[in-house]
Amino acid sequence: MSVTTRDNVPRLRVVLFSLILSLLALTAPLGPVHAQADDAALRAALSGLNVRSFKDKTAAVEALGVLGDPRAVTALEAMSEGRLYGRKSDETVVIGDRDGRVYTLTDPTTNSVVGEVSSREIKKIIANNKLRGIIRGVLGQLALSSPDPDLRRAAVENVISSPTEASLALLKRARDRETEDNIRARLETGIATLELGDEDPGLRRAAVERLADSNDPEIKSLLERRLLEDNDGTFVESDPEIRAAVQKAVDDINDRLALFGLAEDLIFGISLGSVLLLAAIGLAITFGVMGVINMAHGEMIMLGAYTTFVMQEIFRAIMPAEAFGFYLLASIPAAFFVAAAFGVLIERGCIRFLYGRPLETLLATWGVSLILQQLVRSIFGANNQEVANPDWIAGAISIGGGVSVTVNRVYIVVFCLIVVAALAAFIRYSRFGLQMRAVTQNRGMASAMGIRTGQVDALTFALGSGIAGVAGVALSQVSNVSPNLGQAFIVDSFMVVVFGGVGSLWGTIVGAFGLGIVNKFLEPYAGAILGKVVVLVIIILFIQKRPRGLFALKGRAAEG
Amino acid sequence: MKSAIKTFAAVGAIAGSLVFSGVAQAADTVKVGILHSLSGTMAISETALKDVMLFLIDEQNKKGGLLGKQIEPVVVDPASDWPLFAEKARELIEQEKVDVVFGNWTSVSRKSVLPVFEELNGMLFYPVQYEGEESSRNIFYTGAAPNQQAIPAVEYLMSEEGGSVERWVLAGTDYVYPRTTNKILESFLKSKGVADEDIMINYTPFGHSDWQTIVSDIKNFAAAGKKTAVVSTVNGDANVPFYKELGNQGIKAEDIPVVAFSVGEEELAGIDTEPLVGHLGAWNYFMSVDTPENEDMIAKWHAFIGDDTRVFNDPMEAHYIGFTMWVQAVEQAGTTNIDAVRQAMYGQTAPNLTGGIAVMNTNHHLSKPVLIGEIQEDGQFATVWETDGVVVGDAWSDFLPESAKLTADWTYPWICGNCEKPKYTN
Amino acid sequence: MGPISRRLFALESRTGWAAIAILLVIGLFVVPAFNLLVPEGSFFHISTFWVATLGKYLCFAILALALDLIWGYAGILSLGHGAFFGLGGYAMGMYMMRQIGDRGVYGNPDLPDFMVFLNWDSLPWYWWGFDQFWFAALMVLLVPGLLAFVFGWLAFRSRITGVYFSIISQAMVFAFMLAFFRNETGFGGNNGLTDFKDILGFDLSRDTTKVGLYIASAVALLLVYLICRAVVSSKLGRLLIAVRDAESRVRFLGYSVTNAKLFVFTLSAMLAGIAGALYVPQVGIINPGEFAPAKSIEMAIWVAVGGRGTLFGAILGAFSVNGARTYLTGVAPEIWLFFLGALFILVTLVMPQGIVGVYRSIRSGELKDAIRRRLRRADA
Repeated sequence: MSVTTRDNVPRLRVVLFSLILSLLALTAPLGPVHAQADDAALRAALSGLNVRSFKDKTAAVEALGVLGDPRAVTALEAMSEGRLYGRKSDETVVIGDRDGRVYTLTDPTTNSVVGEVSSREIKKIIANNKLRGIIRGVLGQLALSSPDPDLRRAAVENVISSPTEASLALLKRARDRETEDNIRARLETGIATLELGDEDPGLRRAAVERLADSNDPEIKSLLERRLLEDNDGTFVESDPEIRAAVQKAVDDINDRLALFGLAEDLIFGISLGSVLLLAAIGLAITFGVMGVINMAHGEMIMLGAYTTFVMQEIFRAIMPAEAFGFYLLASIPAAFFVAAAFGVLIERGCIRFLYGRPLETLLATWGVSLILQQLVRSIFGANNQEVANPDWIAGAISIGGGVSVTVNRVYIVVFCLIVVAALAAFIRYSRFGLQMRAVTQNRGMASAMGIRTGQVDALTFALGSGIAGVAGVALSQVSNVSPNLGQAFIVDSFMVVVFGGVGSLWGTIVGAFGLGIVNKFLEPYAGAILGKVVVLVIIILFIQKRPRGLFALKGRAAEG
Repeated sequence: MKSAIKTFAAVGAIAGSLVFSGVAQAADTVKVGILHSLSGTMAISETALKDVMLFLIDEQNKKGGLLGKQIEPVVVDPASDWPLFAEKARELIEQEKVDVVFGNWTSVSRKSVLPVFEELNGMLFYPVQYEGEESSRNIFYTGAAPNQQAIPAVEYLMSEEGGSVERWVLAGTDYVYPRTTNKILESFLKSKGVADEDIMINYTPFGHSDWQTIVSDIKNFAAAGKKTAVVSTVNGDANVPFYKELGNQGIKAEDIPVVAFSVGEEELAGIDTEPLVGHLGAWNYFMSVDTPENEDMIAKWHAFIGDDTRVFNDPMEAHYIGFTMWVQAVEQAGTTNIDAVRQAMYGQTAPNLTGGIAVMNTNHHLSKPVLIGEIQEDGQFATVWETDGVVVGDAWSDFLPESAKLTADWTYPWICGNCEKPKYTN
Repeated sequence: MGPISRRLFALESRTGWAAIAILLVIGLFVVPAFNLLVPEGSFFHISTFWVATLGKYLCFAILALALDLIWGYAGILSLGHGAFFGLGGYAMGMYMMRQIGDRGVYGNPDLPDFMVFLNWDSLPWYWWGFDQFWFAALMVLLVPGLLAFVFGWLAFRSRITGVYFSIISQAMVFAFMLAFFRNETGFGGNNGLTDFKDILGFDLSRDTTKVGLYIASAVALLLVYLICRAVVSSKLGRLLIAVRDAESRVRFLGYSVTNAKLFVFTLSAMLAGIAGALYVPQVGIINPGEFAPAKSIEMAIWVAVGGRGTLFGAILGAFSVNGARTYLTGVAPEIWLFFLGALFILVTLVMPQGIVGVYRSIRSGELKDAIRRRLRRADA
């Protein structure tokens, strides 16, 4: 492993770490005598974790919850993350932080460092999924009364997601004490979900009313379960009036969810479209200006992704841990230059000699793509390379109604629009852009006007390849990085370019988003594969009607 | 005219020298064929198997070889191209005259070489977990059959310790291994009383990279209030974006655990494992298992390959067991003759690297323990459950009506790979 | 000699016929004899491996001829010929699957194994009739032909040419690959059709059957070659060359370019289908991998390496590139892709007329002159 530990700090850890401090501050006034008795009790309870059977571990976790000692939080949190160990020499339970081959041990009772050992002297205390769920609930319980609102909010979520017998009372107590409005609202909803099955019909009715405004599919299914009947005809919800109210609530929620479903398809379509757009835009430029189809375009994307990987490794090796997340930003210019360099190489070495022979260029660039793939395979190996999502890109944003958009895709859409805007501005306002447009429209005339078409070609190819490299940076976050990465995007890129119209930036944009959205709307009905086939057939048929694509360049010279 | 004839004669001579099969070679080495893709889509998984075979052969040669001769590996590259697999298999057996072949990964490749091995009476050791429904006289299956991987994994999830799962998503890549496995699992789940609406089955193409819709569907399916798990037979490249999407959409292993059958240490090395912690894998071997045999093997492997970040996984252990058994069988039979060696294979034992003994049964499948493990941050598995003893591999699943009645047994009185009754009855 | 045989004889030059005769002797007599009649241990035995491999190459040669016909002579670079090849292969595969009968793993006399395991209870309509050989043979020609006709009509009518056509053909073959990978499509999904037992009653595992298939492929190659020769030597052939070189002009001269292209494209597709149908019994499996876009692109390089615009070049290219692949993936697997990639670049940059072109320029002294000029320039 690398020297610097991968410190992707999940928010929960930060939250809970500060929780320890706040809770310790709360318990400090208890005094030394009590502290000693507490120490012994805590140590005994913790040692209950150092057993083989998961059943016993579960009992120990719950005992720690009952004990109520806030120092248990660090230990439980460490166990959930796989950092809790039993020291073989004296069977004490310790938290271990690894740095290379050495483990720094901390005693959770005193929070002090008690030694540095190698892996042979400790044995990991393993938690499984079920245990982690229970730990989460216990942690929530311990944190419900924290003075920090963020911690309280997280604790409320934890308790609601892993409720136990005591949860309802705890939540009610917390609601009565709660000062923040939005946390109290969440508490009310949580209490309502737990009160749905209460004996008192008045409470049940109130709970249904409370929940009827929700857009959460989980709450909807909770409500639906009240409508179930078992074999002898008795309903789960005995009161028919309440049953009717539940039914209405469920219907309302379903209607709202349907709208959210449409929104979700649209959002997914846009994010797919942005991926397609990034992949295709470089191709559109080279095809538009030079009339050559660059079959090695996918490999330019792949080179960009591998540049990102190399950047990540460099950052891991020589940069401090906090700066790690910025490797992605640093990769963008790096990938651009690497891919552009390869582009210039290909153009000067190969394509330059094949002008006016587009079919040969197609074949020659296919050969280049094979060589590039095998080159990367020989240098990096055939395996996928791991590219980590930096912290600020991980996670998802919830829009309600069960629809959530992952943050990385949001960034990709934004990034894609920035790239396209920058490119459009460059083409429109810069001198080189002017020359590019001239050569696209009428090569002969442009040359007669004194434009060095050879140079324009070389630089255009470099630009197109560079953008493909930058696309690779973005795609490394959603796709796997392997020598075959290029192959996955090449056919799609072609389709976008041919559909949208060659040489037209607008065409590529509309084409990419259009295809992405159509694909995503088809997917729920036809399945992923059939959806793709249908899209391909649509494109083939569309080309019959408009052979030059959506936004075709007009004019005699465009005939080629 | 004359120069044309001269040209043709020259070309003909060259071609002829290639095609005529050459003098019978002096048999001073024992030849082992290695039939794994070194390029193309499967290279990611199969290159490691080629490396481990070279390692095992090297180890055996250091011990003195086999029957007093050195073992010579013959490596060919079928390049993930199924017809080329058949051609290369034939080349190994007919041209190179190897005594045994270790190879293949995908079921398609195995199905395309099967007729070649049966026609030429070769012997193939197939190390990968697969869908069963096959037992050929000429193939020894050292990977897990569904009852040694899929069924125990589902049983674990159904148990209290595994989370008492009641709703199931069976997600796979669209080809025969996931289809068969899901069929078996569906039948098994129904036999345990799981209702139709609590099972969701979904197939995606190879290399599928846009998982937004499907992961969102899984979330919705899981929101019904019953504990839900995903049984993933997604293969190859598609796993990376799948797990990334799961992590990004906030699906934690405590809420919706995902157990995968095609994700091992090798595949995890190429994925960012932080969002995957807690998700499960089911195999007959984990590199993290703490036994002296395992430590010893890994140390020697690292010494051979010169890189101690290389992992060791279940198919590699399968090759180790297959190779050990084959060497023992050859020594027992005293010859490399295929029929003699085959007879000597039945009942061969080899120590598992995880402890216990693996046995080769007469249906050409192994008896192996089943391990369920959770993915750790370093890309290793931590065992959370294992079978008490070994599970005998069943070529014909009892949960599919058309195969439950079939038996595979290549010894007397059955001598058949897929019969309902023995060939020889008194 | 009657008029027809005179026409036939006029197709080829004296040298050409001599070459064909020699190759026929080697192909049809030497190889089978040395496989079946010469015992195995002897030096002169040609192993069944080589018979099968040469048979495969012969099918590829037919495919290359089909592609050369439209690319070398009409300027249509189809990068989707794998679709026609594959469809012909699947048609033959379906016939052989039906022949398995109840000898399959699950013992169902009507349904192939993969359908049993997908829980289908009856044969889908598009499988009907494939238990008869004549029907399957008809489908081998008809299905690729029909696809080519429809696709070509849509494309040529809209004046889609050049690179656009190549990309659209890639899209077509890619769509086929996706569709056939689906198990629901009913063609065996990713596993494809495999485990064949016999063809026309002949057991596929026997040497004599393999030799028989090999001979059939050789004869088919000869017939396809003569057909192509007939087409390119005719008036239509001249028209196609004109279309290749200056399409708009030909159109303005009043010829129906669309019809000419459509005819030759459909013919080419049918020939590719025949190649596929002969290929499948020899390799024993047909699966959607044949529809991979990369494979269709590779076919173009066979034609380019040999020499497009010359029929013999196509055959030569198919044999040499596939021979190189067999050799390199055995001896030096890591460099095969480098070699193939370099071949693409080399052929387009330096040898646009392929091996035949190089041979011709050597013969006519052109090459020597060119080299001499280069050296002189370098000295000066």
